[in-house]
Amino acid sequence: MSFAIETKNLNCRLAKSFSITDLSMHVPERAVYGFLGPNGSGKTTTIRLLLGLLRPTSGNIAVLGMQVPDQSAAVLARIGYVPERLHLYPSLTVGEAMRYHSAFYPTWDEPWANEMTRQLQLDVTRPISVLSKGETGKLMMLLALAQRPDLLVLDEPTDGLDPVVRRDILGLLAQYVTDRQATVLISSHLVHELERICDWVGLMDHGRLVAELPMMEFKTGLKRLRVSGAPDSLSGSPFTLLVRERGNGVVEEWLVRGWTPSMQQYLESAGASLREVIDLDLEDGFVEMLRASRRAE
Amino acid sequence: MFEHVDPRSPTPLYAQIAARLRVAVASGELKPGDALPSVRQLAGKLRINPATVVQAYRELEVEGLVSTKQGAGSFVLDVSADKRQKDRQTEARRLVREMLSTAASLGIPTADLRAAIERELKGDSK
Amino acid sequence: MFRTIVWMQWKSTRALVLLTTIAAFALPLFSLKLGLNNYSPVGFVTTMQTVGSAYSILAALAGLLVALAAWRADHAGRHVYALSLPVTRPRYAMFRFGAGLLFMLPTVAAMLVGCLMVTFSGVIPEGLHAFPISLTLRFALATLVAYSIFFSISSSTNRTAGIIVAIIAGVIFAQYLLTVFGDNRQTVDLFDQLSKFIFIRPGILSVFSGRWMLIDA
Repeated sequence: MSFAIETKNLNCRLAKSFSITDLSMHVPERAVYGFLGPNGSGKTTTIRLLLGLLRPTSGNIAVLGMQVPDQSAAVLARIGYVPERLHLYPSLTVGEAMRYHSAFYPTWDEPWANEMTRQLQLDVTRPISVLSKGETGKLMMLLALAQRPDLLVLDEPTDGLDPVVRRDILGLLAQYVTDRQATVLISSHLVHELERICDWVGLMDHGRLVAELPMMEFKTGLKRLRVSGAPDSLSGSPFTLLVRERGNGVVEEWLVRGWTPSMQQYLESAGASLREVIDLDLEDGFVEMLRASRRAE
Repeated sequence: MFEHVDPRSPTPLYAQIAARLRVAVASGELKPGDALPSVRQLAGKLRINPATVVQAYRELEVEGLVSTKQGAGSFVLDVSADKRQKDRQTEARRLVREMLSTAASLGIPTADLRAAIERELKGDSK
Repeated sequence: MFRTIVWMQWKSTRALVLLTTIAAFALPLFSLKLGLNNYSPVGFVTTMQTVGSAYSILAALAGLLVALAAWRADHAGRHVYALSLPVTRPRYAMFRFGAGLLFMLPTVAAMLVGCLMVTFSGVIPEGLHAFPISLTLRFALATLVAYSIFFSISSSTNRTAGIIVAIIAGVIFAQYLLTVFGDNRQTVDLFDQLSKFIFIRPGILSVFSGRWMLIDA
């Protein structure tokens, strides 16, 4: 598997109490990689490092096969970036911003850019300074897509936007991924939104990459089990026991990863009986994995 | 036809799409020769990964319900009435299974459930 | 890319260029008008010297304003947009610098036109007819020096710019302290020393000081 983004032991010290520590991230080519984590976990900082906007203290960053920040300019020509906050010049109109942006990217698709302004209902004569949050969000996405990049890096692209705009943006994204087979790195703390579109998940917490796995594994393998009669220690379990809550009754609640229905046999052979298997959606899974990793620290 | 999919459901997204299409074919909503929505269209509309749509279509192709031609899209194949009925029955059992599982987790006894089914079937609106 | 940057930068700069161009055109004519007043010889010399410094100030001002305008758009967004574009930083800075240079041409040209008008007004003796050209050239050089210095300061982060301003302020403050607490015997004029070093030939800023009007008291 070749990677669109690969970091090795990335470290970056930003402030006394905040740093990116030992980050080894792998975004496969053509993946839609959801970069999850609570606010302040270091997602934006990591993205800045990947784009060469920040210099790391140590470690290696390879994006689209090139070194960052040594070959930043060449890499950036193939990356469509949508930052958290508006980075465009407020004094320009929508049309002027498109004209300016297009000058820097030889792969700019003019007809499609114009088509998107119609689809997204953006008035090209309006200055950016008077656009609503939703409209600036749409414009930034438009600019990133019209470049026809090989890699899209989206930092909370739908944060603070109303559901209709979110749909428009995510719909465009899904279509682009189909057309271009591009790789997407999308960071968000809105877990449920990423559920539909991501096939990989990277979970960040306190500047560390806590987990990185295919979405299918994350969603289906993560279960809450209600078990009774289990011995105090389990050896050789085929699943990973993340959390074990005994409560005051007979039945315990377990959080496990890597569960398959056939593992019920293992529990029974240990003398336990499985009362119930509860599915966790991505949001629950995200919360539980965070808790588990914090407990482990 | 596709208004939404439920990412929260334990059923994977591709399976939800495949199931919906299976029902559509079985009920005659989709007739032989009809084109399925393009991967691009469906992915965009549902805001999902196109690979998911591809997987769903592939599953249906394996089952012999659709055929995919490179560049032309996917089309519904002529399916025997027998097969359609079988698919309807499979879907019915799936619906019942879901209902039973929900009822069980809510602690509704089977007798109550059965009574409710009878009433609904009779058209008792109360 | 350069053309687009020029187009965009022009939007931030054009109002300022209009002002400096008008001023550059008017100054020679104004100098002529002043010179034609009835003065005593000493009065004439003093007036000319004073008006001479106006050229120096205008050059510095033009350089400052165009340099600030060059980076205004990027400063507002903390350079994020520019840094995310597929251009290396030095190349991008060169594009901006080049655009600013273009924008100063109208001002210099206006100065030349004003000077030529004075030349051909018939008032200036023939021997001095070449002077307007050399005055314009000196003006051009002064704007270039001012522009380059302010451009460099402006292109740095707020932190670096702040450091530079702090150093200047520090020198002034140190000077002040020395004046207040210093020994009367040893008048160490720091600022004066520094000024002499920079402003007197061959100091880098010597283009701004000294005789602009060929007349010195």
